[in-house]
Amino acid sequence: MIGLACLFGSTSACDVLDQEPQAEVSEDTAISNRKGAQAALAGMYNQLQSSNYYGGNFLIMGDVSSDIAQSIGSWDFYREMDTYLIDKSNLENGNLWTRAYSAINVANNIIDQVPPLADIPQEEQNSILGQAYFVRGLAYFDLSRVYGGVPGVIGTLGVPIVTTPSRKVDESFFPSRASLGESYGQAEADLLKALELLPENHNSDRVTRSQAVKGAARALLSRYYLYVNKPELAESYADAVISDGKYVLSPSFANIFTSKFTSEAIFELNFNSADQSTVNNWYFPSSKGGRGDVAAHTNFYEEATANPNDVRGKMFGYYESKNVYYPTRYGNTTGIDNIHIIRLGEVYLNRAEARAESGDIDGALEDLNKIRERAGINPIKDLTGKQEVLEAIWKERKLELAFEGHSFFDLVRTGQALSEITGVPRVNGPDVDLIDPNRQVFPIPAFDIDANSNLVQNDAYR
Amino acid sequence: MKHFLLILFLTLSAPCLHVALAQGRTVSGKVTSEADGSDLPGVSVILKGTTTGVTTGIDGSYQLNVPDKAGTLIFRYIGFQSKEVEIGSQSVINVRLSSDVKLLKEIVVTGYGEQDRKTLTSAQTSVSSEEIANLPAASSDQLLQGRAAGVNVSANSGTPGGGVFVRVRGSSSINGSSDPLYVVDGIPIQANNLSGVDLGGGTTSPIADINPADIESMEILKDASATAIYGARAANGVVLITTKRGSSGKAKVSLGVYYGVQNAPRKPDVVDGPTYERLINEAFVNNGKPAPYANPDAAISTDWSDPIFRSASISNFDLSVSGGSDKVHYLVSGNHFDQEGVLVGSDFKRNSARINLDFYPMDKLKVGTSILYSNNKRNRLRNDDNISGAMPGAINFPSNRPYYQPDGSYSKFSIFENPIAAVLESDIQMNTNRFLGSLYAELEITNGLRLRSSFSIDNSSVQEDLYDNTLLNNGAGSNGYGLSQATRNENWIQENVLSYEFDKNDHSFNVLLGTSLQESGFSITEAIGEQFPSNDFRKITSAAVQRARSDASSWGIASLFTRIGYDYKDKYLATLNVRRDASSRFGKDNRWGTFPSLALGWIISEEAFFEPVPDFVGDIKLRASYGITGNQSGINDFQSLGLWTGSSAYADLPGISPSQLANPDLKWETTAQYDIGLDISMFNERVNIVADYYVKKTSDLLLAVPLPKTSGFNSLVQNFGSLENKGIEFAVIASIINTPNFSWNTNFNIASNKNKVTKLAAPFNVYNRDLFRYQEGYPMYSFYFHEQTGVDPATGDIQFADIDGDGEFDPNVDRKIVGDANPDFFGGFTNTFKYKAIDLSFFLQYSYGNDQLNWNRFFNEHGGTRDFNFNVSQLDRWQKPGDQTMIPKMAAANYAGNLRPSRFLEDGSYMRLKNITLGYTLPQTLLGKVGISSARVYLTGQNVFTVTNYTGLDPELTGIGDNSLVQGVEFFSLPQPRVFMGGFNVSF
Repeated sequence: MIGLACLFGSTSACDVLDQEPQAEVSEDTAISNRKGAQAALAGMYNQLQSSNYYGGNFLIMGDVSSDIAQSIGSWDFYREMDTYLIDKSNLENGNLWTRAYSAINVANNIIDQVPPLADIPQEEQNSILGQAYFVRGLAYFDLSRVYGGVPGVIGTLGVPIVTTPSRKVDESFFPSRASLGESYGQAEADLLKALELLPENHNSDRVTRSQAVKGAARALLSRYYLYVNKPELAESYADAVISDGKYVLSPSFANIFTSKFTSEAIFELNFNSADQSTVNNWYFPSSKGGRGDVAAHTNFYEEATANPNDVRGKMFGYYESKNVYYPTRYGNTTGIDNIHIIRLGEVYLNRAEARAESGDIDGALEDLNKIRERAGINPIKDLTGKQEVLEAIWKERKLELAFEGHSFFDLVRTGQALSEITGVPRVNGPDVDLIDPNRQVFPIPAFDIDANSNLVQNDAYR
Repeated sequence: MKHFLLILFLTLSAPCLHVALAQGRTVSGKVTSEADGSDLPGVSVILKGTTTGVTTGIDGSYQLNVPDKAGTLIFRYIGFQSKEVEIGSQSVINVRLSSDVKLLKEIVVTGYGEQDRKTLTSAQTSVSSEEIANLPAASSDQLLQGRAAGVNVSANSGTPGGGVFVRVRGSSSINGSSDPLYVVDGIPIQANNLSGVDLGGGTTSPIADINPADIESMEILKDASATAIYGARAANGVVLITTKRGSSGKAKVSLGVYYGVQNAPRKPDVVDGPTYERLINEAFVNNGKPAPYANPDAAISTDWSDPIFRSASISNFDLSVSGGSDKVHYLVSGNHFDQEGVLVGSDFKRNSARINLDFYPMDKLKVGTSILYSNNKRNRLRNDDNISGAMPGAINFPSNRPYYQPDGSYSKFSIFENPIAAVLESDIQMNTNRFLGSLYAELEITNGLRLRSSFSIDNSSVQEDLYDNTLLNNGAGSNGYGLSQATRNENWIQENVLSYEFDKNDHSFNVLLGTSLQESGFSITEAIGEQFPSNDFRKITSAAVQRARSDASSWGIASLFTRIGYDYKDKYLATLNVRRDASSRFGKDNRWGTFPSLALGWIISEEAFFEPVPDFVGDIKLRASYGITGNQSGINDFQSLGLWTGSSAYADLPGISPSQLANPDLKWETTAQYDIGLDISMFNERVNIVADYYVKKTSDLLLAVPLPKTSGFNSLVQNFGSLENKGIEFAVIASIINTPNFSWNTNFNIASNKNKVTKLAAPFNVYNRDLFRYQEGYPMYSFYFHEQTGVDPATGDIQFADIDGDGEFDPNVDRKIVGDANPDFFGGFTNTFKYKAIDLSFFLQYSYGNDQLNWNRFFNEHGGTRDFNFNVSQLDRWQKPGDQTMIPKMAAANYAGNLRPSRFLEDGSYMRLKNITLGYTLPQTLLGKVGISSARVYLTGQNVFTVTNYTGLDPELTGIGDNSLVQGVEFFSLPQPRVFMGGFNVSF
């Protein structure tokens, strides 16, 4: 009878049609006050945490594409990267693209919607906006180097630039690719804007290191200016970070990874048991609860352990049934290790490289040796030539930042990819070489080529 | 069934008279056949206007007490004209009944009613209880396989109680669900996979809650005229399941028991240890590396399948009591079904009880209930594409590895779980309690005008507990991993149907007006624990790290419907349906959809001009229908809204992020279908032919249109695109030989369905490695591969078609659709022979022209690029110049990670002896003495043999669980078991 009442008369009886979501909120109310803005901020960092991005995949991509890690299992997508046969529909390549742009969309929402909110004090508003610009800048920087290339080394096209929130499907949903210079320019502009807005510190040391502050922006800029070949700027931002009292090299290298928020941490992505990263899952053998799909290249293992005093060479495990070694930096088998997006060790190496490029050999060696000493190995004193010093720094960088997702991009940036990636032995196939220079960039994912006719594919993949 | 329905019909139409029968006198006699004078046993002899009656004995004789004041006796017998005889003063009444096929109405259940099949204007196939009785299957959806033309059924895997793929006239939706609507005793039930724990592709069948033995009939409504009364949810066809009910008369007790043994018909075809090592050596040498195995001949050879497969039992016990008086009809039944999986450690148990009651408390009032309570317990294993499953382990662990390490622990290798550990250490339980209950009242307001109201509840609660101890890969890293999940589904539905039947001269009308309200809610609570003190602790309370989540959602539908049936002289028939539905899933302005249908029927054989046609041609009916039905499934409950989700925490900071773009214009997906059908019966209805041609066009597809991911979103669900299914169905049911001692009945059906995506915003690929492509002009489930043309006999290098014609093969562009998983035609063929008390039936089921992806082979025919075991197919590799083969030289370039060679796509055609049964009905003379009214014993074989060129384990394994966009893939799934069993049915 209720039914009849509903259908023939009183619409209030039609309760069955009035259903409300219970685990989601409307986009109109999502960022409508301070609490919403803070939640959106956390939601933005959550995008970086995704296993598709800094939670795993992006790090693996950077290392398996290089000569330090190899694909040994069934996950063909990493084997494609390992053997430079990436297909444009490579799943992991697509995952990274998707997630980086999700992070950008959250940042765009914050940038668009936070300024009118009256209940947020100006100082806090600046901090929130600064963090949004920072994450957007980071994402454009990452996207540009993965899918665009490195200015002056490879590539002319960058990535599509989206700076407004996606709300309604219109032509803004179908952007073209910007030039490589514009892409890097967007990253730079965002990072500089972030630097302007961000505070020096948040309200606790832990938050200061797990969310962006001025120091994080400066550190990232020091890396950025190496990519665009402006060593003097790289040096000056690195200077600012190194002279910032809260950043001090961790005396123990292992502690950087086994502890959370050491003095070395500049921007450290915070994970816990409810929110796990997957790096160890890819590297650790099944008997240790991992998938054992990716391992260190045996050549690299030998290089890393050549000096028995090098503490960084201790951070490997042996995968007996496959006779390979796997990295244990991110070694907690429950995936609660924090992931370093940028740490002080890198900033020293950034400055060393910037100094060497500018001809300051002594300064460069000084920074380089800081890192070597911390690793427990002898300082380098007898090098004088710029190229020699740069090569020593690059070699150090490879060891210092191994399995943190830098390797391939460093090789491309420094123009070494084609020369270094030759005859790299793999356990389940012949030696590999990177021959086609156009394969120094990854393909634009096939799904976006299909969905957006304005996009142009990279040369190697069309 | 006919008999039952006839009795039901008679009982219902007999007014309930309160006649107290005092002492009377006895009338006796004998009933014989007019035609040949033979004795007719089982004839109902009823005192008119009462429920007093008997049935005739084996010799056709009867004896009945009648009141002194004589009355009239009615003699009724299936297939014969009823006869009424005034008793008067006679004490012996002998009667001869003449046969009348015309009288024999076959009443079939339709949406919100029932109807004589003769005047049915729609395309509808019945599957009777006899056809599906005593078959070793947990779930009744599986039993539809091969039984009805145009209904394509396949099991996702051989897992007990596992999910089943059912398509009525093809898939009519892309993102939306293409599963039919299941209606049990008038209740549209929840038919989605109720398990919330992801164990790989294998899902669980929610239909498995219903005991097949309780089913009186299953009706598959196929065309729009039959389904439109279910309007908004009818686009994929409707399966009406009617359960058995009691009838007036002596209590009938039925007992059915069977027991059987199941085995895997095939186990993974992998190479032995020495061969594995030789092949790996060959690959290394071909890749310019030293051979890793010095002495392959000395390799051990481990059979990984042996310890995980078993001979598994299956048993079933059914008991039902039914009967009734003039006031009450009852049926009470209980069922215990217990099926072990052929993989150690997996099983499915069901205990269910049913109570179906009908009361006649007043003259014009009938009330009743249909109540099912069912408890299922499953022990499950990780399966299919889950790398920790037993099958993936058994297929991929190299044969040169031992079961155990020297220290006695499980040997571990690569990404897979040791299969022995997977079956022995896994602890995954699923416990389902389901209540499906309906209460109805039916009032006859005046003659022919009835109001029926019903309230029904379909509640299920599923408790799932999983514990991975530290001996399993999944538990090793977290020092024990436990998951506990409680899922609740609560549905209620309230319906009112007013129906009116009347005749005026030769015009007969049947009008129905109804309302329906339904609300469905879902909630889930999950707890996860890590870090357990030891493997003896399994509950999350013992875990050092604990986390939890809960979620809930709901939807509702309000509907109004009407049907007008009209027939003129049983010659011209028409049915008009209109249903209006509103769904909470759409925006306020687009909630309501109207779904009309019209069907016309013409019984040509009733026309005068038909007279000259030879007598053996009985009825010929031409049917035509057109209608529109809708679909709202497959989208989420709040798909039209722009939403942000709260599940985006950053460590311990609560976070939100966009989860869905708004689409306020979202509305019903609609399918327009026309159907032309022909029903012919010949030779006194001994041969019945049904043929149908249909075209289904689905438009406004609820399609997740891919968006450029640069927007931060994957897709927007829009009413975009269209899809077409066209097909022909043909079925013959024939009683070829029908003598008292020997009979041969046959039932053959065949159907062809052509599916095509006719409009799409942009092509898109789905499933891992983009194996399927959805593109305009191609059918759904189209495989997207590099077309392998061969292997160069000189070099052994793999060769592919150069699709873009630029002179060289480039994996990034030279890829195309090379086939699809849709069969050209499919169906079933049943033959039943009876010789005296012995019966033999066999049921063949077939599918032709479907491509099947042997994805196991892709992983196992890896040419040494992986260190997994090899499929035996690898042995056919190119080895020396001149070799003609499709399997290239074992060199990394031929097996590169970015290649998707089409050679793994195989012809999936098959014909299977699904079932063969030999039965013996014990003679009545013997049974009568011990009070048994009938008894039959039988032996059955299921999945006895299969004719196929497909090289995988089972051509029927075609699905990847819940992914409705994927079909025709075998991916480490368990083959369907072969079953041999025996059983008996007794009734008292």
